[in-house]
Formats: sequence, C-alpha cells, structure tokens
Amino acid sequence: MDTITTTKLSSEEIFNLMKKFITEVIGEEFVEEMDITPESSFTKDLEMDSIEIVSFSEKIKAHFGDQIDFTGWLSSMDLDQLINLNLGMIISYIEECQS
Amino acid sequence: MSKFLFVVPPFFGHISPTLSIGASLLSRGHEVKWFGITPLAQTHLPEGGEFIYPETDLLPYADEIKQILKRQDDGPACSGPEVMKLALEETYVPFARMMMKGLNKFVDEWKPDVIINDCITFAGALSAHLKGIPSVTTTPVPPDVMGDAAKNTPKIFEWQQNLILGLQKDMGIYSDQIHIHSHRLNLVFTSQAFAGFEEKPPHMHFVGPVKGRPNSAEFDWDRLAKSTTPKVFVSLGTLLVDIRAAFFQKLIDAFAHEPITIIAATNPDIFEEWPDNFIVNGFVPQSELMPYMDAVICHGGFNTVNDTFTNGLPMLITPIAYDHFHTAKLIEQAGCGISIRYKRLRISDLRNTVFELLENPKYRVAAQKIRETFIEAGGNDKAVELLEDFAKNNSVLEPA
Repeated sequence: MDTITTTKLSSEEIFNLMKKFITEVIGEEFVEEMDITPESSFTKDLEMDSIEIVSFSEKIKAHFGDQIDFTGWLSSMDLDQLINLNLGMIISYIEECQS
Repeated sequence: MSKFLFVVPPFFGHISPTLSIGASLLSRGHEVKWFGITPLAQTHLPEGGEFIYPETDLLPYADEIKQILKRQDDGPACSGPEVMKLALEETYVPFARMMMKGLNKFVDEWKPDVIINDCITFAGALSAHLKGIPSVTTTPVPPDVMGDAAKNTPKIFEWQQNLILGLQKDMGIYSDQIHIHSHRLNLVFTSQAFAGFEEKPPHMHFVGPVKGRPNSAEFDWDRLAKSTTPKVFVSLGTLLVDIRAAFFQKLIDAFAHEPITIIAATNPDIFEEWPDNFIVNGFVPQSELMPYMDAVICHGGFNTVNDTFTNGLPMLITPIAYDHFHTAKLIEQAGCGISIRYKRLRISDLRNTVFELLENPKYRVAAQKIRETFIEAGGNDKAVELLEDFAKNNSVLEPA
C-alpha cells in the first residue's frame, strides 16, 4: 500500500511516480509499446479513458492525501484543456501544491 | 387517428427502434412518416410508411454531410473529450442546422399531430417548438446519469449550453431554456433497472426494447443447425468501418481453433478466407438469430445490447468510443457480462473471457434478470399506448 508522502518530491521523482501509476493502471505490456515522456498526452498518447483516469486519480489521492486535489483540478478544465492535458502539466501541478 | 413524424439522424442504430414503433403505429391505423438527412432504403420501412429526404434543400450541404459522416470513423481514435466535441459540435449541431429548412417546409405541408425526434436529432424538437406542435423524444441508449454537470464540470456544461443556445437563436428561438428534447415525453428503449436510475424525471418512460422492423436479410440456417459447439454472435454495428479488419483479426486469432462457432455480422470481404468455425454475413436477421446463441461479443451498439439481454444471454462488451463505456459500466453493474476495453484487449483475455461467460452460470442468471425487466417495461405496446395518449392529450398550438 502507498503511504501518504509529506516530503517534497523533485520533478523527476514525480515523473517516475506518475509513470509507475500509469503502468499499474493500464498494464505493463501496453506501456512497453509507449514512450512515456513529460510531453505524453493523457488522452492521445496514453489513450487513457475515463475509468483509467479515475483509477489514476485514486492512486494520486492515496499517495499524496489531501494536499493535492487532482479531481477538483481536472473538473475545472474546459474540453480543450482536457484534450491537451499532458504529464508535464500534472507534474507542475503537483510541484505547485507541494510548495 | 393521428399523424406521427419521426425525425432521425443518418445512423441506423438510432433509426432502428423508430422503425419498430412506426410499424406498430401503422398497424393501428395511424399515419407515419420519417424525415432524415440521408436517404433510407425502402426495404427498411414498415409497410405504409414513407421516408422523406429533402434532396433539394440539402443540396448545398452535400459535401459537408459526406465529410461529417466520414469523420465518424475517427471516433475510435478519439479520447473522451474529443468525442464530445466531435459529437455535439461537429455532428449534431451542424446536422440540426442543415435539416431545419427542409423540415420546417415539410411540417407546414404535411401538418403532423406529433413530431418524434431522436435524441441526437435536435431539428425535430426545434421545429416542433417553432410550429407549436407537440413533441416526443426517443432515446435508444441508456441516458448517462450526469449528476450535476453545472457544478461538477462547469466549463464543459457552459460549452454545451452555449452551443445549443446558439443553435436555437439562429433558428429563431430566443429563449434561455433548452428545446432540443421534449419536456413532455421521452421514450427510452431500455429498462429503468438496467439504466441504473433510482428515480426518473416524470416525462421519461423506460419502455424497454422494441421490435418488429422489417429485416429481409438472408441466412444459412442449415449451416447453423449443423454446428454442435457453443455459438457466439459477434457484431460491430454499422459504423466503425476503419477498425473492422483489426477487430475481426483478434477474433480469428482467439477462436480459429477453438470448440466454438462464431456467427459474425460483418462484410466477409475484409478477409480472403475465414476459419471453418466462422459463419460470416454482411447483413443478418439478428433478432431471429439471437435465440440460438449462447453468448454475444459486441462493442456496445445499443440494438445488439437489447437483442442480447432480451434473450438472457451473457455478453463480452469491448467498448471503443462514444457511449460504449457507459453501457459497459451498466453491464458490469448488472453482472450480465464482462467489459474489456477494445484498446486493451489481449487475445488470451478475449478467449478466456468468452469461455468464462459460457461456463460460469452467474452471468446468464444476471442476464435473465435484465430480460425480465425488459419484458416488464412493456416494449412496443407500452410505447404505442404512451404515444396515443400523448396525441390525444396534446394538440397543435398556434405558433408562438
């Protein structure tokens, strides 16, 4: 089980953590075919559907607890923002919440 | 006797239930016509029905219509938010704009007593509103319980509202109310239990699946009768042309050498050869075939979903795009099938899941429960009763 982290993570650490969550959500063999980078778009490159995004957010919540309101952040977006959402944006958001 | 006008989109899954109710209305002596944006072959229409396609009024839009129809093939490659845009902004709203002129003209000429618009064919309800004609909406797919969209996803809600209010304004409806659907009667072709509604708005009636549309497709019944292994029906519906070959290749890889008979509804031309245990036809008499099947694989097209549970069969649903994901969630909630997203579908999972559905009785038991809720919903008889009462109790007003 993930424990709630209170120490500040670097952007590289956040990236690796996100990559781990994505792998857990969509399955190792599908991730192998993808080159995951901070530019990877959630919907276009990772092809995550709403169910997968929900389980991804649950993992973020389990890890960071209340310090990060990922679902709230997502629901404030418009369609174009959701379409263009990439890993780098999530990393910066988590960094902002930590500071 | 009343005059009913169905206003339909160029998607057969949405037209199909209207043909079935239309057949029942015609047999009770009503006059029934359909109005659409692309022609529909006469063989699909119940006897006595007429399909109106305003060729001259649509002429300026011929290329645009073709492009929009082609764009639907992009659906499977699009993400959820992109599909929302593709559907509402790039398909439903432009279709409504293009249909209005011809529709308004035809409504003036034929003077229907009731206009019945399909849920994505906004022109029907808008024209009814303009002309003061009572309107009903038909909803072939289980409506999504959106929750409070205004509160949960305010920017997406605002985008939807603005698109629809903009369309209404351009059509001469200056109201801050939404008029793309009937506020008085909405017929939904599934059961309330399957749709997962604990409570429903009073104008929404779950009538269950409807049947009876003409289907002249032929089938090699002798070959089916000779097969001794469990029979699995596979359909990818009428859309989704581009991914057809890839989808059926997965099925061949999974089942070519298995003790199973696959009955597939798809154009056989996509492969030169099919395995011996595959019976493949471009068009099939699906409702007549279904009682002989043991399980169904489909992407979540709603008419196949209805035919499946009407026969109490378990389903492997492989959602691809659009509302398939919502339907997949409902099937898993009801326990009558298993969902594997098409994009994450492994051959071994495909094979194992079908055997699980065939061998573990719990899915069939759950499917039969859904079947009971479908029967209780009333089907054609209930739909006709609601429509006749509606026509009796609502009359044409002077235009506002």
